[in-house]
Amino acid sequence: MKLTTLLAASISLLPAVAMAEDKGKVEGIHHWVSESEVNALKVITDKLSTKGYTWQDSAVGGLSGANALQALRTRLAAGNPPATMQFLGYEGLDWAKEGVLRSLNELYTTNGWDKALAPQLLAFVKTGDDYISLPINMHRQNWVWANKAVFDKAGIAEPKSWDELIAAGDKLKQAGVVPLAIGDEPWQILEVFEAILVDVNGPDFYKKVVIDLDESALSSEQMVDVFDKLRKVRGLVDDGFTGRDWAVATGMVASGKAGMQIMGDWAKGEFLAKGMKPGVDFLCFPTPAATPNYKFVIDAFGLFKIDDAAITAGQDAWAESIMDPEVQKNFNKIKGSIPARSDVSVEDFDACAQRSFADREAAVSSGAMLGGLTEGFAAQPQFAGVFSDVVGKFFVTDMSSNDAVQALVDGINNAR
Amino acid sequence: MRADPDLISQPGCHPAGASSGISENIGNAVMRSTLSLKDRFTLWLPRLVLSPSLVAVFVGVYLFIAWTGWISLSSSKMVPQYDFVGLEQYVRLWATPRWGTAVANLFVFTALFLTITISVGLAIAILLDQRVRAEGFLRAVYLYPMALSFIVTGTAWKWILNPDLGVEKVVQELGWSSFVFDWITRPEYAIYCVVIAAVWQSTGFAMAIFLAGLRGIDNSIIKAAQIEGAGLPRIYLSIIVPMLRPAFLSVIVLLSYISIKSFDLVLALTNAGPGNATEMPSTFMFSATFRRNQMGVGAASAMMMLMTVAAIIVPYLYSELRETRNEH
Repeated sequence: MKLTTLLAASISLLPAVAMAEDKGKVEGIHHWVSESEVNALKVITDKLSTKGYTWQDSAVGGLSGANALQALRTRLAAGNPPATMQFLGYEGLDWAKEGVLRSLNELYTTNGWDKALAPQLLAFVKTGDDYISLPINMHRQNWVWANKAVFDKAGIAEPKSWDELIAAGDKLKQAGVVPLAIGDEPWQILEVFEAILVDVNGPDFYKKVVIDLDESALSSEQMVDVFDKLRKVRGLVDDGFTGRDWAVATGMVASGKAGMQIMGDWAKGEFLAKGMKPGVDFLCFPTPAATPNYKFVIDAFGLFKIDDAAITAGQDAWAESIMDPEVQKNFNKIKGSIPARSDVSVEDFDACAQRSFADREAAVSSGAMLGGLTEGFAAQPQFAGVFSDVVGKFFVTDMSSNDAVQALVDGINNAR
Repeated sequence: MRADPDLISQPGCHPAGASSGISENIGNAVMRSTLSLKDRFTLWLPRLVLSPSLVAVFVGVYLFIAWTGWISLSSSKMVPQYDFVGLEQYVRLWATPRWGTAVANLFVFTALFLTITISVGLAIAILLDQRVRAEGFLRAVYLYPMALSFIVTGTAWKWILNPDLGVEKVVQELGWSSFVFDWITRPEYAIYCVVIAAVWQSTGFAMAIFLAGLRGIDNSIIKAAQIEGAGLPRIYLSIIVPMLRPAFLSVIVLLSYISIKSFDLVLALTNAGPGNATEMPSTFMFSATFRRNQMGVGAASAMMMLMTVAAIIVPYLYSELRETRNEH
């Protein structure tokens, strides 16, 4: 008798205890698996748990998110989507077209989030009249990272044009330093290519080439010139660049073996992890442009349609956690990016982040705020792939600039 | 189908056949052609046991081959579309320069990989067959690379072949300062680096099969040849190697589909670079389908790969099956 009472009592107690603390679970797929990324994610999930929900982590790392997308496809096909998923580039918009994402209009208007985001960003979080994703951060892609000691020793100041940058590279070469640290992976080379493309020819030309895929712009003389400049940049690279990871290249700049790297601001974390200080040990400046521009990459979360009130309430709590100004601030301090919201103060961020924040404000008003091609924020993947094929091949072979332009035009037309 | 009459006419095969009563039973049952429940079960048992795997193979292999074929004729991009656009995706596939590179690489890779692996593997097997001392140890040494996954092989060779870390640097430090071995950085030679790593990994495997074949050859044949006055090279060339024909067939078939599905090795060693110079059909298929929203093109390339595999496997199966028929 006594045992049964005890059992009954404990059974009746269990759910009650759980109910008090836990309103339910929010399950999410993402591809943040490195240490700083995991710590940054914890900022959001901690906020979520103060709202009474537990985070159920379904991280799928590897291949820049391609593995996570495959996991999502399987889950959707089985009719069992996660509550939320991290999106890069056009991914969120593509899934919204399939009709599997919740419209977030109500959340956006009640909380006034629509006013907190840069208008150029809306192209990636809104489709038609519907808001479909929640941006947490913004990386800037067009940065040059330089070793200050190496620059000082060679007597180089921040270059103001690509010709100056190439000249600075030649100086570094004479000083016995590898001028530019890079790997032969096509995406690393594409970052340099698109920086030259927009810096030399301006934001409008960039939009025509990579967003509109305008054939006359693609086959123009300006494009030949961009490839010519890229060929000169090739001369600044050492022979051991085969298979070099971007973080290894950053390490070369940090140790003084190389002078510069052209990479997004995720590289900053590598310097900070070595205890180096921006402005003191390493320099960050935008790639040299006639018209200053800002190339952005954002991570955003979408919410899937699930017919379960408890899960929907959890999704709302997750959305509020992501868009919380305090969360955006603390998340981005760890991740190395800046808040996606334009109305969060960045006073206590480091010098590079503050420069990024100020440049973003300027670029928003001048219309020079652009999506990064490499990370999928400009052209659809099938077209971005053609750019990366041609540019990657051009960089490692002795292909002529004219041939490269022709290959680009043919490739884009074939993928249309 | 053939097993059923055997089972009935040979009560000895029956699991419970030890009891003569039951075998009698079966005999009666066959005559009366009405079987008891237990016998019926025995009759159906092989079919029951086989059917789950048959269904799994049918769904997991043949159904998806058909599905891929269908997708390759549709306009599918990010998700499957079930419309029909004819051979459009195949036209697009063959107009993609990267696919041309992938196909050319497949032929270069397969030809070199097969020739080198088979000749080196056969040479080692023949040498090991001369009753050398510590043969067991040497055999293990040659077989060990096979125990590694292609990912490990690829990563290790990536470093060995890197001019700033590997062979080139070591030789230069030894004093030969003009020594250059930078194939992995040069698009026109990088595919040979993949061949080197693959040969290193698979030679032991070819050796093991040839060695087993050599051990199966009757010594008296060799002795008879020696009595006839044939020299050792002649014996190997005209008698032993031709007798290894079954071993050759197994090695060729197994190695050629290793080369068609070589994906992990390329990914780890060169990541299809530099500048897509070491692209293979498998890596092309993966990136088109899963990274570039070109599911239709990816499916078309998968069908092309299937046809290549079929071109190798079907004649092999045909000749093998014909041989077994002839033997009976």
